[in-house]
Amino acid sequence: MIDWILDPFLLGFQQRALIGGLIAAVMSATVGVWLVLRGMSFFGDAFVHGVLPGIAAAVVFDFNPILGAAVAAAVMVGAVEVIHRHTHLKEDTAIGLLFVGMMALGVVIISRSDSYSGSLTSILFGDALGVSWEAIRQQAVLAAIVIAGSLLLYRPLMALSFSPVKAESLGMRPKLTHALLLVLIATSVIGSFQAVGTMLVFSLLVAPPATAALLSRSIPTMIAVSALIGAASVFIGLILSFHLGTAAAATMALVPIAAFLVIMEYQYLRRRLAGRGRA
Amino acid sequence: MSTDLAVGRQVQLGYERIVAVTPSDVSIPLGKLTAIIGPNGSGKSTLLHAIGGLITPQAGQLDVAYPRHRISYVMQSVAFPEGVPLSVREVVRMGRYPSAGWFGRFRGVDKQRVDEVMARLNVTDLGKRHLEELSGGQRQRVYVAQGMAQDHDVLLLDEPLTGLDIVSARIIDDIIHDETDRGRTVVLTTHDLAEARAADHVVLMSGRVVASGPPEQVLTEENLREAYNLGELHENGGLFIDSPHEEC
Repeated sequence: MIDWILDPFLLGFQQRALIGGLIAAVMSATVGVWLVLRGMSFFGDAFVHGVLPGIAAAVVFDFNPILGAAVAAAVMVGAVEVIHRHTHLKEDTAIGLLFVGMMALGVVIISRSDSYSGSLTSILFGDALGVSWEAIRQQAVLAAIVIAGSLLLYRPLMALSFSPVKAESLGMRPKLTHALLLVLIATSVIGSFQAVGTMLVFSLLVAPPATAALLSRSIPTMIAVSALIGAASVFIGLILSFHLGTAAAATMALVPIAAFLVIMEYQYLRRRLAGRGRA
Repeated sequence: MSTDLAVGRQVQLGYERIVAVTPSDVSIPLGKLTAIIGPNGSGKSTLLHAIGGLITPQAGQLDVAYPRHRISYVMQSVAFPEGVPLSVREVVRMGRYPSAGWFGRFRGVDKQRVDEVMARLNVTDLGKRHLEELSGGQRQRVYVAQGMAQDHDVLLLDEPLTGLDIVSARIIDDIIHDETDRGRTVVLTTHDLAEARAADHVVLMSGRVVASGPPEQVLTEENLREAYNLGELHENGGLFIDSPHEEC
């Protein structure tokens, strides 16, 4: 059994995949708690896809993909705000438009690349087994910023999650807090996409916090449980991927979603049985 | 020294492109209980938000005697964040945020204030419960405790007594009168004519300020007919004029 668990991590590239994945998971799962509590999961999804044209441009024109992702994230947020302010449409319509628009733009840009399908697959699904030590170092710095930010901004983020109006009355500056949360989410996406890909960052941003919400009675507990579930998802995902011969990043992304569904059903059945016992 | 908490001159209020209160003059006295009354969508909560510094006037001028951090705003009990795992004690503790700021440490005095207000609002035993596990009356007491936990000179309450059980209504009513007895200013919104008549000062709204002043001068049949659009008025000894909780 021990060999079954350790075999997937004997080689250097496998160890780097584990470390890169763990950093991505803990970083995403921590900031993802605020994303879920704010009810911004759809925005998070769009955001994750919104960085695609920036990364695609970096691949085609050969510059740092982190810079490209950061610029695309800023364009995405700015465009959502402009549509929301200049029309009577609700914010989710603007997010939906940008979601599709940015993703399509990314595909258009990457289609100029010589290795179109390879580059697109790498951006969308990551290259967990190809993560370098240099990428891990960059990722660790970004993770430190995201985790520290998520914890240091605890009070303004909690007030904002409670009520933006109340947060304003308490002097917690909800608009600034919201903007800083977007920066943290963008940083998390940028810091994770190389290890797990843009599509699958979303799984780590939403599924561990959503699962943690089923198990937690307080926000600090939710953050801790979410980080643990994220880390466990990467560990279990890599083991399963190794033994089943499946794509590493996609397998890692499926684990927390499966955990959410299992725990949700378990709790539902337990409540029903308890209800029947009382009747 | 000013005797008014707030003075508005041709003040227009609203949110983004929506105008909720057309240009009106209004004054709210200091150290008194003021009731803002009017039908749904008449701009009661909007005026309360403007006094609390939560929105800025779209036009005209609104002078408020206190800075925002000295004004404590209590929101409606119907508004609560679903799925956010916040205990009652954490919610009340938020009232200390203006003193502690984003990063400041909570001191003994903060904990003591939280304990005191939770005891006054009779929510100490609910400390570990979540907001969604409470009744409307319990939740309103928690929100008032949150407002009382803040260091304040002014208490703003958005429909604090609407639809409450007798125990909760009496506890909150006692708090309101205790505040004015201590010389603090209380401003509340209401749908209840009896509540408005019990106040020192009334502002009658209908998308603008129809009248403001002592209750007996403001709550006349003529003014009420104007604000409530004629035939809809039936006081019934102080029951609701129209259904609450539908205002933006």
